Amino acid sequence: MTGALLELDSVCKTFTRGGLFSRTQVEAVIDVSFRLETEKPEIFSIIGESGSGKSTLARIILALQTPTRGTARFKGRDLAGLRDGADRHAFMASVQPVFQNPFEAFNPLKRLDRYLYATCRHFAGAKTEAAMQAGADKALRQVGLSLAEIKGRYPHELSGGQLQRVAIARALASGPSLLIADEPVSMVDASLRASIVNLFRKLRDELGLSIIYITHDLATAYSISDRIIIMQKGKVVESGDARTILADPKHPYSKTLKESVLEPLAPGERPLFAR
Amino acid sequence: MSAAVRNAAAAPETAEGPVVAVRDLRAWYRLRLFGVDREVKAVDGITFEVRKDEIYGLAGESSSGKSTLVKTIAGAMRPPLEIVGGEIQFSFMDGTMGLNRAPADLVERVRWRHLSYVMQGSMSVLNPVRRIGTSFFDFAFRHMGLDKAGFEAAVVAHLARVNLPASVLKAYPHELSGGMRQRVTIALATICRPQFIIADEPTTALDVVVQKDVLAMFRSIQREMASSVLFVTHDMGVHAHLTDRLGIMYAGRLVEEARTPDLFARPRHPYTRHLIHSLPRIGDDRPRSGLEGTPPSLANPPSGCRFHPRCAFATERCRVEVPPMEQVAPDHRVACFEKDRVEATP
Repeated sequence: MTGALLELDSVCKTFTRGGLFSRTQVEAVIDVSFRLETEKPEIFSIIGESGSGKSTLARIILALQTPTRGTARFKGRDLAGLRDGADRHAFMASVQPVFQNPFEAFNPLKRLDRYLYATCRHFAGAKTEAAMQAGADKALRQVGLSLAEIKGRYPHELSGGQLQRVAIARALASGPSLLIADEPVSMVDASLRASIVNLFRKLRDELGLSIIYITHDLATAYSISDRIIIMQKGKVVESGDARTILADPKHPYSKTLKESVLEPLAPGERPLFAR
Repeated sequence: MSAAVRNAAAAPETAEGPVVAVRDLRAWYRLRLFGVDREVKAVDGITFEVRKDEIYGLAGESSSGKSTLVKTIAGAMRPPLEIVGGEIQFSFMDGTMGLNRAPADLVERVRWRHLSYVMQGSMSVLNPVRRIGTSFFDFAFRHMGLDKAGFEAAVVAHLARVNLPASVLKAYPHELSGGMRQRVTIALATICRPQFIIADEPTTALDVVVQKDVLAMFRSIQREMASSVLFVTHDMGVHAHLTDRLGIMYAGRLVEEARTPDLFARPRHPYTRHLIHSLPRIGDDRPRSGLEGTPPSLANPPSGCRFHPRCAFATERCRVEVPPMEQVAPDHRVACFEKDRVEATP
């Protein structure tokens, strides 16, 4: 088991719905296995439409939900066994989430620097005001901002791209080794998306951070991922090297996904919905 | 109508005038609180027209004034938003008054009959405690001039056009998937066969696969009714495949406008160029760069050309003077002093 940062071994998750007599089972995740190595930080993308189970998978990796069958291990430790507070605390320090909508992730009445201070105090062991400020500043500098710009600001004062950077800085403040980014750019403007995507690449190269990037946008996944898995209705239908798969998808669902991406036209290409 | 006749009607030099003409429109948010005046110039001097039987795209980042423009045209203004100057002219209303200045009974007759609106969040548009059929009744019954049975038959026939079964009329919004709900809102907006439809980010919340189906359906309905559409989204991929002409907004002003293929092939404004070049493509490994700097505050916009603080081509003149919108080719207008230099740069 040495060397595995995260290891999923035929993970299944079933939800039960309905009352006593009309009980139905919904299989959200079926038999998903993959492994991320500690020595080789990478950007690993999970691609699929809504309802394909990708967010459930993210919740399992964040230990917010326990798998029905199979095991999820982080650094060799079964996530289902995270019982007591100290264990979970240590786990939370090393696996951090970034959410889809930065406008909803932050409380509009709370200053942004306080999120960073709280993360530094709880997870990075910053005891004094000065240590918290230093920790917050360091995390913000990693995403191209600084504490001077953010201090005392409320969420509505920043643009979506900046706010998503603050969300990423907050995740970095605890010094994690794995980042789970669930649709991090879908609420960000197209002109700012490229800078967030480039930031993920920089974090992987400079901090040696592994990132699980969850998306339905094949174009950004192509531009940053090392490996991808494509999910449909809870099952992994295709997995492997991002370049190889997206250049020539084999599974019919992957092909449909690729064909549905609306890209700017190459010269001579006809628009899909031309008159 | 045969295809040839329709294509002739769609040609840019039509005998008919534009369905909507907006001239030098200025719509500001004006706040007077505790003696402090604050003006947010969300729409500041915009001129464009939407012709018959075309989809006119409008692109720009959030807080560029897209939604304010749409609200102003639809006459859905609430204080502190007010029209400070300019005019909006509809082909289906006499004179040069927009919906903002029309009497209430005229607005009541025109809205939904001649001008309809597809909104962004389908979940929040449809009333959650009313069945879909009731919503259709609320919106469209009085405009159709049919009896109840006739109206129901018309609704069912129209739903078939957007590939929905008649059974959705009995359903509540939460019982339908996101794609189905969005098709219901499109059916609602098109049932009266209006001349002009405003679509504000109608597919942003949908998955790529569903989005493609919904857009194809939207295009086929538009073609069949020969309506004019103002289609707002920040997704340049959607614009490339759907729209006939495209206008780019930045900080409350239109900076470039052209036929969509021309705009993608030869962008002449640095912001348009950036928008097009920053899009990732499958099979293309060139690194993409994000736009540096922050979007301008509309309460205190930069002087001169509003894009100059983030522009690589900016000169001293851009800081002082506002570049006028100039025609550079047939159907291609751009507001930039350095447009020749931008175009010459590979």
